[in-house]
Amino acid sequence: MPLRQPNAAKAFSRSRLFKTNAALSTESPWEHVFEGRNTSVNALVSISNRPASERPESSRVGNLAIAVKDNICTASMPATCSSNMLRGFVPPFDATVVNLLRIAGADIVGKTNCDEFGMGSLNVNSIHDPVINPHQVASAAAVPWAERERRSAGGSSGGSAAAVAASMCDAALGTDTGGSIRLPASYCGVVGLKPSYGLISRWGVISYADSLDCVGILGKNVDTVKTVYDAVSIFDPKDPTSATTESRDKASTAARDRIQSFDFEEAEPNLSGLRIGIPQEYFPAELDSTILDSLRRVIKRLHSLGASVVPVSLPSTPYALSAYYVIASAEASSNLARYDGIQFGSRTSLPPGADKSRPGAVYARTRSTNFGSEVQKRVLLGTYALTADAFDNYFLQAQRVRKLIRSDFNAVFRAPHVLSSPPTATPRISGVDVLLHPSAIRTAPPLLRGGDLGRASHNDGLGESSPAAASGLDTYLQDILTVPASLAGLPALSVPAGYGADGWPVGVSVIGQWGCDDLVMRIGHVVESTPPCA
Amino acid sequence: MLARRNVRQSRQFQQLWRSFSSYGLHGSREAKQDKRWPGWEVVVGIEVHAQIKSRRKLFSGSLTSQPGEAPNTSVSAFDAAFPGTLPKLNSKCVELAVRTALALNSEVQPRSTFDRKHYFYPDLPAGYQITQRYAPLAKGGFLRLAKQGIPVRITQIQLEQDTAKSTFDARRRESHVDLNRAGSGLMEIVSEPDLRSPEEAGDYIRTLQAVLRSVGSSDGNMEQGSLRCDVNVSVNRTGAPLGTRCEIKNLNSAKFAMMAITSEVFRHIELLESGVPVPQETRGFDEDRAETFKLRSKEDAPDYRYMPDPNLPPLLLTKEYVDRIRRTMPELPDAQRARLLAQGLSPRDADVLMAVDAGREVGFDGEPGRGAVAYFDKLAQGRDPKVAVNWMTHDLLGQLSARKETFGDNPVSVSQLGELIDMVQTGKITGTSGKTILRHMIAHPSDSSPLELATKHSLNAIASDDGVSLRVWCKEAIEALPDVAEAVRKGNPRVLNRLVGSVMQRSRGRADAQSVREMLEAMLMNSP
Repeated sequence: MPLRQPNAAKAFSRSRLFKTNAALSTESPWEHVFEGRNTSVNALVSISNRPASERPESSRVGNLAIAVKDNICTASMPATCSSNMLRGFVPPFDATVVNLLRIAGADIVGKTNCDEFGMGSLNVNSIHDPVINPHQVASAAAVPWAERERRSAGGSSGGSAAAVAASMCDAALGTDTGGSIRLPASYCGVVGLKPSYGLISRWGVISYADSLDCVGILGKNVDTVKTVYDAVSIFDPKDPTSATTESRDKASTAARDRIQSFDFEEAEPNLSGLRIGIPQEYFPAELDSTILDSLRRVIKRLHSLGASVVPVSLPSTPYALSAYYVIASAEASSNLARYDGIQFGSRTSLPPGADKSRPGAVYARTRSTNFGSEVQKRVLLGTYALTADAFDNYFLQAQRVRKLIRSDFNAVFRAPHVLSSPPTATPRISGVDVLLHPSAIRTAPPLLRGGDLGRASHNDGLGESSPAAASGLDTYLQDILTVPASLAGLPALSVPAGYGADGWPVGVSVIGQWGCDDLVMRIGHVVESTPPCA
Repeated sequence: MLARRNVRQSRQFQQLWRSFSSYGLHGSREAKQDKRWPGWEVVVGIEVHAQIKSRRKLFSGSLTSQPGEAPNTSVSAFDAAFPGTLPKLNSKCVELAVRTALALNSEVQPRSTFDRKHYFYPDLPAGYQITQRYAPLAKGGFLRLAKQGIPVRITQIQLEQDTAKSTFDARRRESHVDLNRAGSGLMEIVSEPDLRSPEEAGDYIRTLQAVLRSVGSSDGNMEQGSLRCDVNVSVNRTGAPLGTRCEIKNLNSAKFAMMAITSEVFRHIELLESGVPVPQETRGFDEDRAETFKLRSKEDAPDYRYMPDPNLPPLLLTKEYVDRIRRTMPELPDAQRARLLAQGLSPRDADVLMAVDAGREVGFDGEPGRGAVAYFDKLAQGRDPKVAVNWMTHDLLGQLSARKETFGDNPVSVSQLGELIDMVQTGKITGTSGKTILRHMIAHPSDSSPLELATKHSLNAIASDDGVSLRVWCKEAIEALPDVAEAVRKGNPRVLNRLVGSVMQRSRGRADAQSVREMLEAMLMNSP
């Protein structure tokens, strides 16, 4: 069956929607703001043609310059998801988050590099090439950029983290499915918030795994992140998973009462009565021991302010990573089915003489050519997990683990989960207000040197010295500390907490009960203000 | 390729089939002998896909398309599976599906969920169809066949998206995809294998069609594809266990379904008689050759990789919600017929009214259409129902059909016809004049009342002038037909009717026939 351009595709013809965008033109009004930094960091893949507005020094969201991850739809710039499949795709609409920011008056400066469809932890799976971590080790200040050590910015929202770290914008929107905001925030030394699932609209966000995908915010500091969060965290009737105003109010009222019992406004707040849990399962063998120094310093500070720091156990944690990859891959295989070269996706014709009688061959050709290897790997894994024979042992089993992970969290938190508990549930005095753990098992991993930065399709772009380079599966270990909060839909904030022994940034994560995002950010603010060397 | 055009889930059916066969040989039905295949038993189950008659699609705000619309005009970004779009359930579709469930005595589930069914085909832009695989909207129920009176058990009713339409232009060797239908709401209604003959299957489809139309949930139009059937057929020797089933896909009329089943039964018998087991397969139906043909075998059955839809929360329906739908939904055919008979209508009159309704336009989103029964109900208020129905069936419908018009074209309002009937009943005009006025109202639609028309056309009854006009007309008639008058005088009363007719003609129908007869008799008997 010859599959020629069907009528439907003509209705949405490339001339109207898929126009080539000259976003990266050197005439962009933003180029002088970036002062060539993007060339070194490769954080932005499209740059806005709209001129920068006058920006008085103030923290109102309308005064911020904000970059948007390339898997979030903008009508003025392409949304490629760093995939060949969507190369040149300009959506006909703005995502709800983008719309809210525009209405508030913020400048959308450009689109940020990311791993293809959000799949990756190092931002090396990208048709736009890897993002280079802009962090400068103190000792390398005099070394020219080209000769410095190149490290990963983390992924998948690596471009968003790097753009903030390189001061190309005040804040950036990212998405976090299993750690894609917190990991790059940790590697680049910026603040990254993955809010509670359902608080920020996903309408206009190109799905990777719907039940896990969260839009989040990266910024230089917690205040900026909070400013953006407050502007975009509202109920959206277009997103069927958007939390209702009622649930939001219920959770935030409880959190507000808790916040008011501490004087967070003070530089040295009195935190007596605040209970902070340290989950014992979050210190795996793979954890770089020098990261612990930073965490210890943060714990010491919180303790000195009066908080009680208690060890807690989340016993299902060891199963989280496997469950996450089964669920995320299954949903990805479903969500990415639309990129078949008929309605969506660059179409690659069969080579001359090929057997065109099997439609499967036509689809396979397009999908094998235009998806990168990591995406293909996950689509295959997910497809398998959903087959009739594997469904019970993989997909349903993973859903069971997900339930266990959720109840683990509910068992340690003081606040009840407003979406899953009876309305009468009261706080458990012995529970903790937040959890604290290292954001990543290490500092930013090195990237391969040299001209071949790895199209990432056949190589994960990691240096030989990196333990993560040993096998493809090891890359997934990067997410080991971040996926549980994703599976449970909880707010998680990575805050810079000094540097590792190698001089690269270390992040500490604060996790709270669902809807307690404000409390998480308040405590994140205290963590952020911890002096680098106590 | 045809095989992929209407891939529908069959696994579910297999499971139900199995569970059914395990509790009794053939369930509740007695073995039924059929002259066409003595010694053999036929078992049939049917899956119907009925398009929901809603103004908007199941998960997007875009309008559902109407037949004849230009391709790709009723399409939203969601229908075209644009990346970044999300589904939003249309509550009108849910309401109509709940009406259907109640009409089929099915149990509406307090919690149902949505799943994705995956396969690649150009008319499925997202690469999956949203359906209700694991927890359907309603379970159980039955439909009593209109002709044969047999209850056929319903397994379940689920909501799902319709696909786009793909056509192949053989001359230009091009595939065309029209997304107008993509994402419209469908109800999948699955029966238990309770049917025992092609005729019962036809009866089931037609009865179901009438029920869907009466509750307004679907227009059930098979020609336009808003109702499509897949039938499952198996054949076994009387008393033996169930045979292997074959599924025949996408039958688009009750007649074709019956033909397909008949042809399939003979095919199975032929195989079994020659000692060859029937292979389990999915088949299509060639309407021209009246034969089924193989689409794929059991081994080639696609794995649809069902997955709970991660975007759509469970559909929770409270008892209060279901009760409200039950209270406000239109009357079912059985109940309606019983009510009409109780009002004193003859079975024939009730059938006429209901048959008119069966052909009416079904309103969108469950809004009542302009039906004959509803018209009758209003007309009969404060009037004798039998008189009202006579005017409707004999005069209104009769005159409309004489003009080759349907009830949908009726320009006469209930109040106009009501006033007309009242005028005749109170003797203000004669029945004949009433019919004349009705004919005028149909031919010249206006808001004028029948009284105004009667006056304008001098059709008021002449009973009030003490018989002066009548006497004049009778005299004229006798003078015009002296031979006839003479015959009557000589004791031949049968020819009196000719004189009566002549008088009626002179009065232009205003005279009352009985009065004319009496006047004529008096005049002829009393004069020489």
